[in-house]
This record gives sequence, structure tokens and C-alpha cells, in this order.
Amino acid sequence: MSDEARKPKDAPQGGAVDPRLLEILVCPVTKGPLRYDRERGELISERAGLAYPIRDGIPIMLPEEARKLD
Amino acid sequence: MAAITQQRRHRDPESHPRAALDAEAVRGAYRRWAAIYDSVFGGVSAAGRRRAVAAVNQLAAAAAPGRPLRVLEVGVGTGLALPHYRRDIEVIGIDLSRDMLERARARIAAQRLANVRALLEMDAERMAFRDGVFDVAAAMFTASVVPDAKRLFAEMSRVVRPGGTLLFVNHFAVESGLRWWMERSMAPLARVLGWHPDFRLTDLLDPARVAVEAIEPCPPAGLFSLVRVRNAGAPAVAAAA
Repeated sequence: MSDEARKPKDAPQGGAVDPRLLEILVCPVTKGPLRYDRERGELISERAGLAYPIRDGIPIMLPEEARKLD
Repeated sequence: MAAITQQRRHRDPESHPRAALDAEAVRGAYRRWAAIYDSVFGGVSAAGRRRAVAAVNQLAAAAAPGRPLRVLEVGVGTGLALPHYRRDIEVIGIDLSRDMLERARARIAAQRLANVRALLEMDAERMAFRDGVFDVAAAMFTASVVPDAKRLFAEMSRVVRPGGTLLFVNHFAVESGLRWWMERSMAPLARVLGWHPDFRLTDLLDPARVAVEAIEPCPPAGLFSLVRVRNAGAPAVAAAA
């Protein structure tokens, strides 16, 4: 597909996330809020110390696949 | 053959031991299945899927106008059901299998299903949604492949608003007779098949405590059933568990 070619240079890492989706998402571990890091394409759970990656527009809400925050 | 003879005993004293199915086994099974799932299982499951989506569409038709019905499809898989939803219904799909989700995404793009708002990789027993954000949650051919169906049920109850609807399409084992015997003898294949032939309704919910509105047999030959539950909302303790 030509998705990659058409993507503008300032497109968010991992693909865009619908703001209305963000409203209903929580951390699966703490059920606490998530912060969207557009640059890195991650959903950050400060309380759990985890960053959930977004790959090709599909958020991966699995603690075992998340990056541990320092 | 050690893997398929491994058994685990459930907390429910009435439950029989079943072949262990952990999340990794499920993902492994569906990684292998993703490429051929539609042709092997798509046909036999089509009627059940259509019946479930028809039930969702009816709920949308009956709902107050102005706000779209918000539907969660748990175990969306390759997205076989997605084209059948009314286009005024907002659908979000989750699955544990990345490979299946990639196929669902391709289907959404090919058929321009703009009403499918998102796909997420998620564990159905530990969802990343706020409480009560959906009107409907539907699990088609999913309840028998998760490690703990009661936890699936609790999570679906949590993310659907009280008074909303939970839908399940599944094969539920009968309790006696020739089919019972055949299904029991197939049970050790669970790890290979990725689903439990001996899965019972009571593995999913407690009929004494849950408001089951309807159980409808679906073709072919009533092998699958559509179970409709009016959501009572999650007990406060379930969220903390």
C-alpha cells in the first residue's frame, strides 16, 4: 500500500490517534489516565511507569509489550 | 504430546478440568491461523456472526436518535463481522493477535468502513477502557478461547454501561448425549484448535446471577448459540481485582 509514501513528514510516530479514542482509554494495569506522546507514538501511563507503543495506528495495550519508563 | 495432556482445574467446583489455554497459546494458535482463518472458519461461523450483528443493528434502530450506538467487538479477529454493522454504529475492535488485526485493518481500508473507529491490541481479560463507555460489547467465537471466560465477562460488564447489552456467539457444549461425548473426546485438542469444544455457558456466566435475555441457536444445525445479556454493570470489587 502507498500509506507510507503519502504520510506527511510531521505525521505522528506510529500513526494518528483519534482524540475521542484517547478519551475512553485508560492504562490496563492501573485503570488510570494515559498521556499521548505524539513524538514517540506512545501512550504513557505515569502511574504504572509504562509507555504503550502504537504501531501502524494500532495501540498495543499490553503491559508485557510496553516500554518501562525510567 | 505433553502440552495437550496438561490439565488445569478451575476454581468453580462444578467445572471439569480443561486443557490449559494461556494467552501465549491463543496468540500462537491465531498467528498460525491468521492466513487461513477466513476460509476454514469463516463459512461455518458466518450465520452466527450475522445473527449477532443483526442484534446489534436492531439495538441501533431502537436507540434514541442523535447519538451513535457505541459497540465494542471483543476478539474482532480478521474483521469478518465488521462490514455488516449499520454505518451509523461506531465500532471499536480489540484482539490479542496482531496478525488477525492486520487483516482486519486491510478489510476496513478495502471496504472503507469509516464507522470502525479503532483497532487495538488488547487482552480481553484486562481491557484498557474506562467503565461504561460502550452501549454494547459483542464477543463472537471468543469466550471459549480466552483463558478465563468469567474474567472476560466481568470486563465486558465493566466497559459497557449499566442497562447496555452483552452479546456472545459461541459453541456451548451440551451436557449429555452423543454430541457431548464427541465434544468431550475433542477437548484435548483445545491447544491446537485454539478453542474449547467442551466450553459450557456456566464457564462464562452464572445463570442464577446474570440476566440472560435470550439464547438463540444459530445455523448450522444449532452448533453455535447467540446469548444476549442485559448488563447489570460491574460490581465494584471486579475493577480492583
